[in-house]
Amino acid sequence: MAAIRLTQVNKIYRSRGHAVHAVKDLDLTVEDGEFVAILGPSGCGKTSTLRMIVGLEDITGGDIFFDGQRVNDLDPQARNVAMAFETYALYPNFTIEENLSFPLEVRGVPAAERRKKVHDLAALLRIEDILGQKPAALSGGQQQRVSLGRALIRDPAVFILDEVMSHIDAHLKFQMLFELKRIHRELGKTMIYVTHDQVEALALADRVAVMSNATLQQVGTRNQLYHEPVNVFVADFIGEPPTNFFPAELDPAGDQPVLRAKNAALTFSVAAERGQRLAASGQRDFVVGLRPQNLRLDGTEVGEPPPGGTLTAEVAINEYVGERTVLTLVADGHRFRAQAHAETTLGRGEQVRLRYASSDVMVFDAKTEALVA
Amino acid sequence: MSEQTARLIRTLLLIFLGLWLILTLFPLYWQFITAFKSAAETNRTIPSFWPEVWHFENLVSVFAEPTNFSALVDSFIIATGNTIASLVLGSLAGYAFARFPRQAGGENLAFWILSNRMFPPVAVLVPMFFLFDAMPWGTDSYLSLIILYLVFNMPLATWLMMVFFRDAPRELEEAAYLDGYTPLRAFVKVTLPLVLPGMISVAMLCWIFAWNEYLFANLFVGTQVRTFTIVIPTFTHGSQTLWNLQMAFSMIAMLPPVALFILLRRYMVRGLSLGVVKG
Repeated sequence: MAAIRLTQVNKIYRSRGHAVHAVKDLDLTVEDGEFVAILGPSGCGKTSTLRMIVGLEDITGGDIFFDGQRVNDLDPQARNVAMAFETYALYPNFTIEENLSFPLEVRGVPAAERRKKVHDLAALLRIEDILGQKPAALSGGQQQRVSLGRALIRDPAVFILDEVMSHIDAHLKFQMLFELKRIHRELGKTMIYVTHDQVEALALADRVAVMSNATLQQVGTRNQLYHEPVNVFVADFIGEPPTNFFPAELDPAGDQPVLRAKNAALTFSVAAERGQRLAASGQRDFVVGLRPQNLRLDGTEVGEPPPGGTLTAEVAINEYVGERTVLTLVADGHRFRAQAHAETTLGRGEQVRLRYASSDVMVFDAKTEALVA
Repeated sequence: MSEQTARLIRTLLLIFLGLWLILTLFPLYWQFITAFKSAAETNRTIPSFWPEVWHFENLVSVFAEPTNFSALVDSFIIATGNTIASLVLGSLAGYAFARFPRQAGGENLAFWILSNRMFPPVAVLVPMFFLFDAMPWGTDSYLSLIILYLVFNMPLATWLMMVFFRDAPRELEEAAYLDGYTPLRAFVKVTLPLVLPGMISVAMLCWIFAWNEYLFANLFVGTQVRTFTIVIPTFTHGSQTLWNLQMAFSMIAMLPPVALFILLRRYMVRGLSLGVVKG
């Protein structure tokens, strides 16, 4: 087991004169035994990052350390990493048992010990009954577990899991997430999990690293990413439905500063002390972020509402999504969403009042898109 | 479409296929019956379509010249040697072009290799003769034809193997690297088995080309080494052509490729359809 440290890692793909900067100045530390997810949309550089960690891709700039040892120039075989691939990559001409014992065979583990390890692991992954079959005969979920098993069978410095749930149907995925979490808890090994699905990342990982546009945006726990997103991208990417954004201007007049949405009569109130800090920054243009979960229909709260403000809007769409309802609302040309109880029967055209807590109002710099207060 | 038109189309199709079959099988039939005729019967102005007397001894008389049998062996050695060389070189080159196109010289080099197949062979017949004549092994040897046929078979092997390797998933090799294999072992143990059906069909194509080649063999070999293709014309003498022996000998020469094809046809079909359906 090992702690992984990436310092100022860069990846540039060059071909025929044009260069693609796939990973920019990435700094990331994964503690020994920690479960970290790298989350980001397609093409954000997360797979490149992972391929550099395992050694399948050259590092253009920067260093990668395993337990303090620089591994830049080591071959994948020498780094002792195990990886489960998005496409499973099971050897099609080997049986499942041979697939699982392959990494041990390469290392010269005696046959009897190999058999024992394979059967122990098969029990853990619940694939004992398919050991004699070839990969082509298996369902996607079974192949997935075998591919996971092949990564788990030896004792590597780190486990890398690349989009391993993307071909599993929703029901089985839920079960697999649970099992993966269990396996991590039982083995206590360092794991890096790459995905574009925030549900997987937030469910599994101790910490989540959010990447976008070749750059690491933020690393943090679920709560940090949700409540203190460092910029507009993270606020938008984390959370379902996504955060509502309103371009706004600070109106410092009066004793209580407010943010006024551009071209609309919507205002957002923030705590006095925070408003003064915003005014002191000298900036005028901001972006206000407000999560749909934090916009509550007036009168549905339990107890005294926290200090905040209200918005009035018209219902455009009422979407029933299982245990909750998502309302798409229109106010003065601005579209935004709010989450409500599942039983909400509000229909198109009805006027509603929404209440929010001023502590839930996120304010971002309009130019840099970074969180300012 | 009414049932009647469907039946009509079916009938027309069957007639067409029947005609096609006659057209393709007739030469084989002609070869077969001629092989068992007497020399006199083959030279009649009005041909007979079935031998009057079956001269099975023709199959033996073709080997009256003992070197005729060793010509079949020579052809086999050359075809097999060339096929192995084509596969080894073609697989390695095809793999390089498929996996490391830039380091391997890129599309231009790959295309240049293929372009070697495009010139008319006659154009280089004489230069090649002088070139090989200057080599230590000369022109009249196994090695000369084995190497010469690489000019035609290696580009074919390289390109087909390149396509097969491109279709073989890269992740499997990467998984093997991570599991502890060196690139060479991963190539041999993991990737090669995947492209084996394709490789067998490439081997068939190379082998048949080398087995059948006449033009270069006729000029290059003949004394130390003789291929069967240059033996066939020896049944033509100054005053007459022994059609029956010629056909008997060529029929015998047909057997090895046919046997090979029947043995490997399962792989052949799989190899040719490889990569058609994404798995």
